[in-house]
Amino acid sequence: MIRLENVALRYGRGPEILRDVNFHLRPGSLHFLTGPSGSGKTSLLRLLFMSIQPTRGLIHLFGQNVTRITPSRRADLRRRIGIVFQDFRLLDHLSTWENVALPLRVTGKKPNDYQEDVTDLLQWVGLGERMYALSPVLSGGEKQRAAIARAVIGKPELLLADEPTGNVDPQMARRLLRLFIELNRLGTSVIIATHDHQLMQQFQAPRLELHDGRIHQVG
Amino acid sequence: MTFQPNNSAPPVTPASKELYSPSRPKERGWGNQHTPIVQAKSVTGSSLVVVISIMCFLASLTAGGVYLINQSAAAWTDNIASEVTVQISINRTENIEDKLSKISFFLTNQPGITGVRPLPLDESADLLEPWLGDGANLKDLPIPRLIAVELDRESKPNLDKLRSDIKKNFKNATLDDHRRWQSQIQTVTRSMALAGLAVLILVGLATTAVIVSATRSAMSSNREIVEVLHFVGATDRFIAREFERHFLSLGIRSGLVGATGSLIVFIFMPFFMRVLGGSNMTSAEVRRLLGTAALDLPGFILLGIVVVVIAALCMLTTRYGVYRILNSQHH
Repeated sequence: MIRLENVALRYGRGPEILRDVNFHLRPGSLHFLTGPSGSGKTSLLRLLFMSIQPTRGLIHLFGQNVTRITPSRRADLRRRIGIVFQDFRLLDHLSTWENVALPLRVTGKKPNDYQEDVTDLLQWVGLGERMYALSPVLSGGEKQRAAIARAVIGKPELLLADEPTGNVDPQMARRLLRLFIELNRLGTSVIIATHDHQLMQQFQAPRLELHDGRIHQVG
Repeated sequence: MTFQPNNSAPPVTPASKELYSPSRPKERGWGNQHTPIVQAKSVTGSSLVVVISIMCFLASLTAGGVYLINQSAAAWTDNIASEVTVQISINRTENIEDKLSKISFFLTNQPGITGVRPLPLDESADLLEPWLGDGANLKDLPIPRLIAVELDRESKPNLDKLRSDIKKNFKNATLDDHRRWQSQIQTVTRSMALAGLAVLILVGLATTAVIVSATRSAMSSNREIVEVLHFVGATDRFIAREFERHFLSLGIRSGLVGATGSLIVFIFMPFFMRVLGGSNMTSAEVRRLLGTAALDLPGFILLGIVVVVIAALCMLTTRYGVYRILNSQHH
């Protein structure tokens, strides 16, 4: 599913954020990605999401080398990946429903084809009453849930989440984690970047720990 | 603290209504309508509409003007080609009216001639009036007399033979088949068509430049939206379509405004000329140059084509511009 070989990353002429990163994750696995602030968790997720290129090394996703890839192939692969950003990245002029439906809309499907799925998912994440609200009127927690719903609506094969529980209360955090685990049981590989040790203890899963730009697999 | 989604939602008041999406469905049906991902107001401002409308106005005016001139020129050459003139120079020793009759009789009996009409002296004098003025007593001058000869359009006579026969049989009589005129008209109309084409090309280039700049600015102001679209798996084609639909709509709206403006000009051109100080002679001259100066059905279709071309230019320029910008971001 995911294979990184000697991956390194630096921004411009700055220091290497990541170096000699090697790991291999099987399909259907669930991992927490941990490490202190600035250790490169978000950068690693961005590499996996193909929004940046490694300075050196190879990244294989779904059996394909994605370090050299055409824009249309990248778009195809991204449809198989769901991502939850730390800063949500919701579109302000679209309703919660339309934001969540966006990954389906870009595939050319009509709203009637996914109306029930989107509505049900929004009910499930507790946004049933906020479906028509525009993003600016949502609270931080609501935005986070909408961002998570958008990431999982397309039933991705790989889910990347950057601090997905950072803005929600503990009960909602557990609920969202259960959603991730449920998706994982259905076959989605999940990588969750988090600082929340309590949550990691509650949901036992192998960890990828980033220290000094290098990765260590634990558990 | 427990999560209570319903309680955390602020109520919808009239003041906060604009913060709710206008695409709220009725009952359970969403229909297949989408809120545009890229908002029109972030792409095409009113100043851009004005600029493209002016471009389309100029293009329509040029295309319509060249069309009218071509139509008039075609009518002139058609008329000229089916008519020749025999000109008889005045010789004081001859009875000119008698000579006119003889030549007319001769012409009537030639094959390929359907009508012969000797022009009375008054009519010949009228033809010279625009050049010599009406103050002069033209009838006292040795004005050459003319015979208008109408040719059979189906089987025209051999004009070279007719010319030599007239020269041989009648002294001081010459046949003018207006070839020089025809050639001059063709040169003038061809020049005007080329000038019109040059103006159309310039308008097209200016429109393209404006749209390229507007596309760049639209992409820049919607950078975050483009990023999100890429993250959710949108192809460059999808993103380009989101932009180009606004520019297509801009092209159609501006095109219609511009073409309607030019149509008004064509309809009221003679009136405008009178208002701006031209005499009735001016409008008569315009009529002579442009015929009735009114567009017929093909003329209207031509203006429609201008609108379609402007709209297509806006759309395709945007598509190409978006692809170029996205391509540069990918590398």
